[in-house]
Order: sequence, then C-alpha cells, then structure tokens
Amino acid sequence: MKNLLRYALTRILLTIPMLWILLTLVFVVLRIMPGDPVSAMLGGHAPERVIEQKKEELGLNRPILAQYLDYLGDLARLDLGNSMIYNQKVSQPLLEKLPATLELTMVGMAFTMLIGIPLGAYAASRRRTGRDFGIRLFGNVAYCIPVFWMGLMLQLVFGIWLDLLPIAGRTGPRVFVKDFQNTGFYLLDTLLAGQWASFADVALHLLLPSLTLGIVLSGIFIRLTRANMLDTLKADYVLAARARGIPERRVVYGHALKNAFIPVLTMLGLQFAALLAGAILTETTFSWPGMGRLLLERIYLRDYPTIQGVIVVFAFFVSLVSLAVDLIYALIDPRVRY
Amino acid sequence: MKRALLILALAILAAGAVFGAGKTIVFGTTDKMTNLDPAEAYDFHTWEIFYNVYNGLLNYAPGTTQIVPGMAESYSVNPAGDEFTFKLRRGVKFTDGSPFNAQAVKWSIDRGMALKGQPSWLITDFVDSVSVVDDYTVKFKLKFPCAYFHTVVATPPYYPISPNIYPADKIIWDPAEMAGGQLVGLGAYKMTSFKRDEEVILETNPSYWGKKPAIDRVVIRYFADATTLRLALEKGEIDLTYRTLNPSDIKDLAANKKYTTYKLPGPQIRYLCFETSESVFQNKLLRRAVAALINRPDIIQKVYLGQNSPLYSMVPNGMIYHSDDFKTVMGDGNVALADKLLAQAGFSAAKPFEFDLWYTPSHYGDPEVNMAEVLKVQLEKSKAIKVTLQSAEWAAYKEKWKHKEMPVFFLGWYPDYIDPDNYTAAFAGTSGSAGMGIYFSNPDWDALFVKEQSNADPKVRESVFKEIQKRWTDEVPTAPIWQGDLYVFTKPSVKGVKIGPTLQFLYSELSMQ
Amino acid sequence: MASPMAPPTAAGSRFSVAGGLARLLARFGAAHKKYGVEWWILIAGAVVILFAIFMASFPATLARYDPLDQEAGPQMAAPSRAHPMGTDNLSRDVLSRMIHGSRTILGVAFAAAILSSLIGIPLGLLSGFAGGPLDRVLSLIMDSIYSFPGLILAIAFAAMLGPGVVNITLSVAVIYIPTYFRLVRGQTLSIKEELYVEAARAIGAPRRTILGRYIFPNVIATVVVVFSLNIADAIMTEAALSYIGLGLPAGIPDWGMDLSMGKKFLPSGVWWMITFPGAMISLLALGFTMLGEGLSEILNPRLLEK
Repeated sequence: MKNLLRYALTRILLTIPMLWILLTLVFVVLRIMPGDPVSAMLGGHAPERVIEQKKEELGLNRPILAQYLDYLGDLARLDLGNSMIYNQKVSQPLLEKLPATLELTMVGMAFTMLIGIPLGAYAASRRRTGRDFGIRLFGNVAYCIPVFWMGLMLQLVFGIWLDLLPIAGRTGPRVFVKDFQNTGFYLLDTLLAGQWASFADVALHLLLPSLTLGIVLSGIFIRLTRANMLDTLKADYVLAARARGIPERRVVYGHALKNAFIPVLTMLGLQFAALLAGAILTETTFSWPGMGRLLLERIYLRDYPTIQGVIVVFAFFVSLVSLAVDLIYALIDPRVRY
Repeated sequence: MKRALLILALAILAAGAVFGAGKTIVFGTTDKMTNLDPAEAYDFHTWEIFYNVYNGLLNYAPGTTQIVPGMAESYSVNPAGDEFTFKLRRGVKFTDGSPFNAQAVKWSIDRGMALKGQPSWLITDFVDSVSVVDDYTVKFKLKFPCAYFHTVVATPPYYPISPNIYPADKIIWDPAEMAGGQLVGLGAYKMTSFKRDEEVILETNPSYWGKKPAIDRVVIRYFADATTLRLALEKGEIDLTYRTLNPSDIKDLAANKKYTTYKLPGPQIRYLCFETSESVFQNKLLRRAVAALINRPDIIQKVYLGQNSPLYSMVPNGMIYHSDDFKTVMGDGNVALADKLLAQAGFSAAKPFEFDLWYTPSHYGDPEVNMAEVLKVQLEKSKAIKVTLQSAEWAAYKEKWKHKEMPVFFLGWYPDYIDPDNYTAAFAGTSGSAGMGIYFSNPDWDALFVKEQSNADPKVRESVFKEIQKRWTDEVPTAPIWQGDLYVFTKPSVKGVKIGPTLQFLYSELSMQ
Repeated sequence: MASPMAPPTAAGSRFSVAGGLARLLARFGAAHKKYGVEWWILIAGAVVILFAIFMASFPATLARYDPLDQEAGPQMAAPSRAHPMGTDNLSRDVLSRMIHGSRTILGVAFAAAILSSLIGIPLGLLSGFAGGPLDRVLSLIMDSIYSFPGLILAIAFAAMLGPGVVNITLSVAVIYIPTYFRLVRGQTLSIKEELYVEAARAIGAPRRTILGRYIFPNVIATVVVVFSLNIADAIMTEAALSYIGLGLPAGIPDWGMDLSMGKKFLPSGVWWMITFPGAMISLLALGFTMLGEGLSEILNPRLLEK
C-alpha cells in the first residue's frame, strides 16, 4: 500500500509539468499566429488609433514574457481569463459547451465498447476461422475510415434517404432547452425534469454522432479484446472450467471476458485522446455545439484566451483520465508500482 | 423504430400545443448575432434583430426604400441643409417603463459617438452635435449639408436606447448584462431568450406604439451550416429560412412546390479590390486587363447556378444613377482587350504577369473558393497571366489588406444606407479607400464625392455619379462582379414576407394561416 | 518488439546497417511459407500502396482530364462512361481529381512521416543512450505531446501557419515526433543493457560507433512498421485538416477538401462527390495499415497467438 501511495503521488506530480509544457506550447503557437483578435473584431472601417487603443486595453502590446507570466499566474488561481472578442469570461462558453462534448464522448465510448468488446470476444472464440478474419477486417476498415466521412455517410443514409434520424444539433427546433436546462447533460436533464418527449428528442439527436464515434473507434477494441481473450482462454482455470463441462458460452463470456475486461478498461483511458480528437471532427459534421466547434470558431476569431482555455480543459481531462488509468492499473498489477 | 418515432412525433405535437395559444414562427438562419449594442454591432443579422426590437427616429416602410416616420413624427431641415430637427412621438415608453423623450435620443447619440464602435462613423462622419430643444424636439447639427441624411438616420446606430438600462461606457453583449436582464427597446418585439449561436426568442412588445403584430412569438434558430438549415426546412422543423443557403439548395427548394419562394433583388455586391498604391497593380492598365477578363455570366452559372445578376458598375442594378459602364467599355471575358493592355504594360505569354489572387474561405459562404477557382481559370485564358490562389481567414484577411499584403482580393458589400454614395465613396474616396485596403487617392474624385454629398439637387448628383462610374472603368480601383439576390423559403402557411431593397425583414409583417 | 536476442546469422553481421537490412529481407522471404494469412494481408496492403504510388507518380498518364479543367463535362453529372466518378460542381472530372489528389496526400503524408522520423529517431537514440537529466526532460516533453490528442495540436499549428503544402506537412509532422522518440528510446534502453554493447564499451568503442553499429540496426525493424502505420495516420490527419478548412489553398487537388466541398451537395442527391474521396482516403490508409500490421506480424512474431 505504501508503494501504491508513493506511485500515486509521483504520478500526480508528474501530471503538472506535462500540463505546463502543453500550455506553454499552445501559448507560444498562438502568439505567433498572423492576425490578432482586435483586427478580427473590428472591420476595415476602424481607424488605426482605435485598433491600437483596443490592443493596449487587452494588453497585447506588452512583452510576451509579461503576458505569459500573467497567464500562468491566472491559471494557478484557476482563472481562465476573459475572452478578447466577446465580453465574457472564458469559463462561460467552456462550461456551456463542455457537457455537450462530454455527453457525446461518453455515449460514443459506450457504443465503442458495445460494438468492440462482444465482437472481439466472439472473434477470439472463433479463432482463425472466417468469422474471426471477417471481424478483424471490419475492425481495421472501421479504424481507417475517416470519422467525418463515416458521419456523412450515416447522415446520408439515416438522415436523408431514410429520413429516420436528425442529423444536426442536440435538440430539435421546437424543443426549448430553457425548459429543462440543469447540468448541461441533456439526457440527464430531461429525465430530471420529467419531460419524456424532450428526452426522446435529445436521445435521437445523440444517436448518429455517438454511433459514428463508436464505430470508428471500435476497431481498436475489437483487436484488444480479442488478444486479451486469447491469452485468457489459454489460462488454467478456463481449461478447468471446460473440463468440468461448463458450456463454452459460459466459459467465454462469463469467465474469460470478465478477466480480459480490465486491460480493456485501461485501453479505454488511453483511447480517450483519440476519442476527443474524433469528437472534434464529429462535432463539425453534426453541428454539435461542443468544445470542438468552440475551438474552431475561436481559432477563426483569434480569441487567444478562449483557445488556450479550451486546450487547457482538454489537456486537463486527458491527464485526468490517463492518471486514473495508471492508478487503476497500479492497483491491479502490483508490478507496476516498483 | 418508425413506431417509436410516430409516438415521439405525437408527443412533440402535444407538447407544441401546450406551448402557447399564440402563433409561433420558427425561423432558421446560418448567420450569427454578434453583440446587442446599436453602438457597436455592424453586421447584417444583428441589425435585423435591431430592426425588430428597436425603432429609429425614421424608418423605411416595410418592403420599400421610402422613409416614413418612426419614433419621430416629423422632421424639418433648415435652408442651409445642415440642421435636421425632429419632432418626437409622445407618450411612448421603453419596455422597462421609462419614458421616451429627447433626452434619451441625445443620450443615445452621444453614447454612440463616445464609444467609437464599428459603425460609429455613420454618426461621427455626419453629425457634429445633438441638442435637446424641448422634451419632444431634438436637433441634429451636421458637419456638412447632407442631402441624404434622412436615410442615414434610419440606421441602427441612431436608434434611441434607454439610459436606465444601457451602461454609458460599455458595449452590451448579452442581455444578462443589462439591468433587469432583458433587452429593452421600442420596437414591435422584445427579446425574451438569448442563447448565443443556438436560439433567440422574441415576443410581442406590449408597450409598442404601433400595430400589434400577428405573430406572437418568433423563435430564431441558429444553424451551423446551410445543409442542415435546408434539411431542417424539408423535415418541417422550421417554418422559414433566410440566409444563407447554398446555390444547390436554393435551386432544389425553388423548384419544390411545397415551399413558397421569395426572390429578393438585393443590394449585396461582390467585387475585386486592387491595392493601387504599392502592389503590382499600381499600373491601371493591369487593373483594366484583369477587369476585362472577368466573365460574369460564367461565374454566376458555374458557382451560383444562375442565381445572381451580373454587375457592371459599383452602383447596383436598380439603384438611382446606375449605369452599366463596365459592360459597354469592356464586356465579359474580353481576352483580346486584356492581351492588348498587357502587351502595353510589357507582358506576354513568354513573360507573363504573375500575381496572387486572395479570397477568404468562410466569411462570405462556402461558394467563395469556387468563385476564386473559376476566376483563376478565366484570368488565365489570357496566356500572359499566371494566377496563384491564396486564402486567409477573415481575421488574417483584414490584417493583410490593412498592411497592403494582398495585391488583389475579393470583397463583398452590404449597404449601410441606400444611396450610391455608400457604394462609391467608401472605395474610391481617399479615406474610405485606405480603410478598404485599396489605397486609391485622386483629388478630382474626392472633389466629385464632396459635390454629390453636399448637393441635394438630383440632376447634379446624377451627373456626378455618371461621371464617377465612367472614370471607374478607366482607373478600376475595384472591379464589380455580381449582385446578389436573397432567397427566403417558407412553408405555404407563412405570409407577409416583405423584404425590400433595404433588406430589412420586419417580423411584425408576418402572419400565419 | 524486435528481438535483439537473436544470435548472429550467417547472412550478415548484425553490426552493420546493411546486415540489419539483410536480416530483414531474409526473414521476409522465410515468412511466406510460415504465415499464411498475414502474408496475404501484407501483400494486399503493398499492392494498394504500390498502385497509389504509381497513381501519384504518373497522374497525367492515368487521368483523362486536367483536374483543374472546368469544362471537362456537364456540371455535377452522375458517374457515367465518360466520367466514371462523375463531375463536380465546377464541371471538373472527379476521377482525374482523385488521381491527381493522390500525389498531394501521399506527398504530404510521406514528407511528414520522414520529417518526424528524422527528428524523433535521433532524439530517441540520444535520449535513451545518454540517460540522465537530458533523458528525463526530453521524455517529459515528448510524453506530454504524445498523450495529448494529436489532431488538436495539428489544428493549432495549421491555424497558426496558414494554408500551404509546407505548412500542412509541418503541422502533421510535429505530432508524430514523440511516437518515434518513444519507440526508439525504449529500444535503445533495452539494447543498451545487452552483453555485446557492454563488451564494446569495455574495449573502448566510441559512443558514435555503439549507436551507429549496434543499436541503430536493431531498431530498424520496428521503425519500418511504425513508419507504415504512421503514414496511414498522417493521411487521416491531413484529410481531417483539409476537411476542417485548414488545409491547402484551392488549386491543388486534395481529397479532404473535395470531401468538404462535396458535402454541401449531399441533400441534392449528389453522392459521388463525397463517396469517392472518402473511399480513397480509407483505402489508402487501410493499405498502409495492412502493410504495417503484416510487417509487424512477420518481423515480430507473436508466437503465442497462433
């Protein structure tokens, strides 16, 4: 236990410099970009001195080091600053849009597991047969399909040709968010407010985007589950279970899968970064009002603080998840702690 | 699945029935609102919201270019033409209960001048000072006798706002920043919900002095792109679309009998700007050569599927004093003329004229890149030209034109006020031209502009503008390409879409059957 | 991972780059008999890639039309005999654009992969070999970048640099440097402990020699696999950047941009403008993935799995 604690502490402390490196990188990149927020805001009509004045106000003329130190100082106080374009704190759009991205990511993750794990387990149980190769091929192909193309194809089939599902936004135009707005996770909010029609609407809107994410990322899970299952299936206790006459299906899905599950969980954590990247592309395709679209919009507007804020939040979540994964792994596998 | 959807649909319908006995229209658009402040907002969509939530001293009659009384019942001009006195409407209150009077008007104008927002030049270029004559009379002293000031006063920067709600020194971006948390105005509607880039809800204003609108509630839904907007209309989720659909969507919807199509000849124009002071385009022969090669019908057909009109002058079709000078002097795709001019300037197939053509990919909509690609092919029909396409997003684009980094670039224009002056002086007058990255300066031209601005006599103005348009084909600070039509698509039950050349869309005119 | 434990073979000393490569090829040849399906996967991948490279090298011979020709055929016509992939909204032949576009995407992906490896491999070698504070700092930086979603970084860089072939290549290259770094560093760390390296050090061999003749050749095998998978990933990243609009300027046929242009016409029933670019991107990425996986199975056999 002492070792675990020590490991945990070291790991947590390690997260901080990693975050700092990322933030510095982004800060530098943004300052070198051509175009600044003031020009983005004001039109060609604005006279030079007005632009200079606004730049003074926003502190864009100070030496970069000074701006950087201020920025770090603010971050230490958990203050993400103010948007340079809109009169709002950076945290405001972030808090609004974060639940949208998280909801999409989590449901996407659920689909990934729903598709990937059973398929992987099945492939392992039918090792080296046609079905095994078929499933593995599907996994590879799914991974190589660009997530935005998959999204477009699904939109085309289910949204346009079959006209079964909505293809954009989180809610339909006649569903009013202010009637149930609470945490920002609309699936939860609509249930809490008892609005079943709105719940159905929100769920339908979630379906295609998260399915897109789920299918594309399932490939890795198929492969991983399969590999872990194969290892597990050779284990002694599986042999013993078979010898006792337990039906094969119970052996595979009951015993082996449970044990293969844990590494899969950790893989989930590692794939979180890929999920976030996929979420950005999915958000643009499905007009999902999340952090990914916010990032792209603000890049367009050169709103440095918001861009930095979004990346900070992304980096934070990725670090958090990877930390959790490492800790769980250490908990399970004592070798890691040393 | 289908059954589940049926149940869902019924549930939503039931929910909709509960939503208010009054009429509701759901309106979809791909535009965005910027801020909520008449002193700062300078974009099409935000102004449209203002037309419905605020009210000007004078307004345009719906669907026309005629000026009618608004918050001012009448006005008079002094003989010199530089003082406008307005008699205000009595007994009107802002939606928060404070009275509307001359002090409020003066306060609003002073605030606009002090905050120096983007459109503040519309005030400061014209108005010297405002004074309160009595509670319901206000006098504007202008910097110069302005013949068309009554059209300028109808623009949003002049809209009176309540001194109790708006801070004197800050721009408002969100209703939450105002005392009371709601947008307050004098217009037919008030804003009851604001979720940036998602939805805005307007409901009728009980304190409005005019006729009560037929539609009680207008819900504006913001869509991220044209495709989803179009699909939303087709799936019946919205009742009306306005700005901006893709040409292919417009073509399909217009052909579809299920929707009512409104084609509005708009005063939006698109053109090429040349940096005339330091770039390779200092030589006007080269500017003329490039202008001669533009093939407008080809662009309109290829990129816009025939949905716009070719433009042969910076003054739009249908506006007073318009004259198709570019057509008579150069025509379209005039390779022979271009080659001749290029040869005069010393270029040939062996030694071609090379330059970068810039466009901005998103600001004007998706077809922009296609227009650039088509123009490049048109320009290279002359073997003595080599074009490289370059692009920059709007923020960087504006920087670049300010710093003279783009020798030739696409730009677009919506009028601030309906007058040929807004389409010409803004580009070729010395100060306006510099602001647009063109840096054209000619004292003769400036003199002509001053003449038409200060002279109310239509005959004088006409002769000036005819002269300016003629000279434009010689100096070519900009080359006009097309003039845009705007399309509104509605369900057949929606009536009362009256949008005129001013492009003002007054929701108070709408009704539903 | 490559097994540095393999005893020296007669085919060539493992202390030279040529020897390293020779060993690679020898295993290759032997593999065919041993690994049925994996071999065919590799071949399939290789065929796709070779075809793509051929397309990219001689686009003019394969494509009937100039990809920029705006009068190739009717506007937005469905696939037909004259235009097997149809025409786009500017009347350009889609098939020709696909063929010429392969050059763009392969060029960027290859260049990015090469750039990443050129930076990542030496840094990894250095860091693994030298150890100490340099190793710790470099590892920290690389781990930070590696754990972060690469696409987001690429977006930030592409937005900063602006459109252009070089800029996009740089944006894509940056995010893969840590991949090579970590791989090579890991390998270096384990090989460093080998007996023969210790022996070399004992007799006073200079560091350069140790790195160049002992460590590097053993690293090649895994690098080749990662290189192939890297290209697959770079293809997807480049397509994603173009799709978002941060890619190349107009005038260069690009699959990602054609896809983003084509999606506007989807509700009008124009399916061919997005189907073919998307399929091409998937196919090419799949080809490199299969090559990489096939290579990996063959060069680094996971015997337990069979």
